[in-house]
Amino acid sequence: MLSYALLVHAAPYSTQGALSALRFAEAAIARGHRVETVFFYHDGVHNASTLMAPPQDEVHLGERWKRLGETAQTALLVCVAAGLRRGIVDGTEATRHDLAQYSVEPPFELTGIGQLVDAVLTHDRLITFPP
Amino acid sequence: MTLHLIIRTPHSSGIFADLLDAFADGDYLLLIEDGCYAALPGAAGLDDAVVAGRIGVLREDAESRGLLARVAPSIEIVDMDGFVALTERFPKSLSWF
Repeated sequence: MLSYALLVHAAPYSTQGALSALRFAEAAIARGHRVETVFFYHDGVHNASTLMAPPQDEVHLGERWKRLGETAQTALLVCVAAGLRRGIVDGTEATRHDLAQYSVEPPFELTGIGQLVDAVLTHDRLITFPP
Repeated sequence: MTLHLIIRTPHSSGIFADLLDAFADGDYLLLIEDGCYAALPGAAGLDDAVVAGRIGVLREDAESRGLLARVAPSIEIVDMDGFVALTERFPKSLSWF
């Protein structure tokens, strides 16, 4: 059994990358591995938006990530610097920046780039899903 | 030993030339997403001796693009489970974009 970190640069629905990463995560778990961390970076931070509302007959990427976080105990880490630039903020950051709304809730978690470095150093595999 | 991943078509960028420069003994190339178009016969110079016999294409992505029946015979067809198996075999992976 290996531990995996996935690095997601791809925004939801813009390119295939986010869905590729999700399918990879599900396939890795089905093979008995642990997907310990998914790190959302650059435009990939949009995957964490709790305000996502795609048509009902389409894949709901936000819900699928959330299910992964809840069922596989995968840490869903969102780059705080990339998120702040794009309106992807949790309640704490919204308060800190005097914003009226927030768009990130658990199991997604705003975090720094150091967490990505930590994942690279401590996990067996890092797989990058480009934009 | 590195697993190389390509998601772009051979016509959209110069990454295929860069990949051929970087491809080392024992490496493997998996074509995913729009990279599947490079699995068509003669599409991306991938019949080059450097990479010959060490290329796969992701079944699900080739199928969704209508390419499955047209994949060059020298290219392996790998499903999602096989993709994970490749990452077990290769400790390092490199995504080109």
